[in-house]
Amino acid sequence: MSGVALATLGAACDRGTSADATSALARPELLVALGAERVRELGRRYREMVPAERDAASLGDAITRSFPWSARLFGSSSIDVPRLVHDDFDAGRTVVVLGWILSATEARQCALFSLLPA
Amino acid sequence: MHIDARTLDNGSVVEGDLCLVGAGAAGISMALEWIGASQRVILLEAGGFDYDPRMQELYRGDIVGLPYFPLQAARLHYFGGTTGHWAGFCSTFDPIDFEPREWVPHSGWPFKRAHLDPYYARAHRVLELGPYEYDAAQWQKRDAKLVPFPLDPSVVWTKMWQFSAPTRMGTRYRDAILGAKNVHLYTNAIVREIDANEGASAVDGLSVRTLEGKQFRVRARHYVLAASTIQNARLLLASNSRVAAGLGNTHDLVGRFFMEHLEMPSGVFVGLGERAPDTAMYAFEWGRTKARGELALADAIQRQRRVLNATVSLYPHDLDEAGQSTFQRMTPEVLAERRRAGDRAAEAAEAQREAAQQGGADRAFHLQTRQEQAPNPASRVTLSTERDELGMPRARLDWRLTELDRRSFRDFYDVLGREVGRAGVGRVQMRPWVLEKPDAPWPSSVGGGWHHMGTTRMHPDPKQGVVDPDCRVHGIANLSVAGAAVFPTAGAANPTLTLVALTLRLSDHLKSKLA
Repeated sequence: MSGVALATLGAACDRGTSADATSALARPELLVALGAERVRELGRRYREMVPAERDAASLGDAITRSFPWSARLFGSSSIDVPRLVHDDFDAGRTVVVLGWILSATEARQCALFSLLPA
Repeated sequence: MHIDARTLDNGSVVEGDLCLVGAGAAGISMALEWIGASQRVILLEAGGFDYDPRMQELYRGDIVGLPYFPLQAARLHYFGGTTGHWAGFCSTFDPIDFEPREWVPHSGWPFKRAHLDPYYARAHRVLELGPYEYDAAQWQKRDAKLVPFPLDPSVVWTKMWQFSAPTRMGTRYRDAILGAKNVHLYTNAIVREIDANEGASAVDGLSVRTLEGKQFRVRARHYVLAASTIQNARLLLASNSRVAAGLGNTHDLVGRFFMEHLEMPSGVFVGLGERAPDTAMYAFEWGRTKARGELALADAIQRQRRVLNATVSLYPHDLDEAGQSTFQRMTPEVLAERRRAGDRAAEAAEAQREAAQQGGADRAFHLQTRQEQAPNPASRVTLSTERDELGMPRARLDWRLTELDRRSFRDFYDVLGREVGRAGVGRVQMRPWVLEKPDAPWPSSVGGGWHHMGTTRMHPDPKQGVVDPDCRVHGIANLSVAGAAVFPTAGAANPTLTLVALTLRLSDHLKSKLA
């Protein structure tokens, strides 16, 4: 897979994501292709569609829940987000936002990105 | 040999062994096969060698179903027919296109794809295509730049297309036809009625007129209608002196099952990765590209999803630009310009258009779908109450689509979006209309590819088809149909290659019959 990005999560995942980790997660691969404004719009739309995931904490938790059990239990120095995205597509965990067919993880990444200062 | 029918004496009788009605892709393909044979071939062309607005006007018709472009603009009525403005896109129908699919009503051909392969290979020569090779891996061996996306071929595969120059049959084969001693081309010969015997079990002759009012008759041992999908049906329906419902219409099938290819902008693709994915395999440059790939759903997925066959082509485009359907892009005016200006000028114009579309984007592409239309008896050609200049009822087109047509778009993009995501190639966006429910009205971009198919469909059972598996009209001993009118289903590929292949197959059959 091209453009592999690793999100560093310094702390144990079951304690939630740190600010650094959140910032790292809020960098969906789509940014390169669509640009910041479109990704921000995707994120805003996702948060409207899924009110339970409208803030950074709930989004971080939702993403964390998709981590492998070992990472959740013992923590991990790195999580392969592109792998999570791949697995989402493979398992059919997709969501349609503004017509885009996105993995559940990257949709949440977009939502996190939309919460960052422009 | 060429005879201008306007020079014939009024009331003449022209006789031959085989009479071909129409000198377009089908009629000329068949005539070429008979050059040098012992039989005398009569090739009737309503028009002359050049475009004539008065002749085209004879083919104006009513549009009462979904919006369609004027019928007189959709086909060219002069020697060479619609190859005078076709774009040269060719690909084979897929094996699944020939199979009965229980989720596609009225699907299934009387033979499998393998049966047509030798005729496809021969059709390649007629249309001046490259080698009869449609395997993406083989094309990659020929040109290392043609790299398919790394998708799972059991889900989405790369279907190859080839591009004719395009062969303008009217110019390319004019000398061959005119120089053939046994092929007698009559131009300005407009067939007004097929005259059947008393029991309507055989054709006695054809009533033919010129625009100037001369009348003559053609008699032959066998007749082949090759006058285009809509006009073949019109002629059969209007030939009602013996049978009120028209010839070959015992079971009210003539004109039904009119099909198009739905060619519509349906989505957007963006490539991911630090470097945009290599899309050379999917690129098209007018007049230069010999082969390219399009994306299609694997047979197993079509069965699982119970959808129609389709392919998707990629066109570089700015993300903010709205896509256009073939109808929106290839308007009658654009087609007329292509015909008037010739291929070189058209090529330059097309290149300019393509360059304008690039918009500097190397990652963003419009996804242009080309989907078969489900066979639908309610989508049909009938006769209008209005008559043309020579008193023949005009055609009336009632083009209709079904929920299966609509749902298949959505399913295609669901699968495609997930697979390109899984493979890490990119992401897919569906157009808003694709996301709507299957019973929603069609969008303003609804349109076809100027492809007319299916009004005299092929089926062994006379209650389900107008022509039998040999393309002979059921119940009429010496009348056959050539062209896309006999297609039982439309496939996802443009019709020209398949209709020429079927015509060559019919030609072989008639050679054994008329030997």
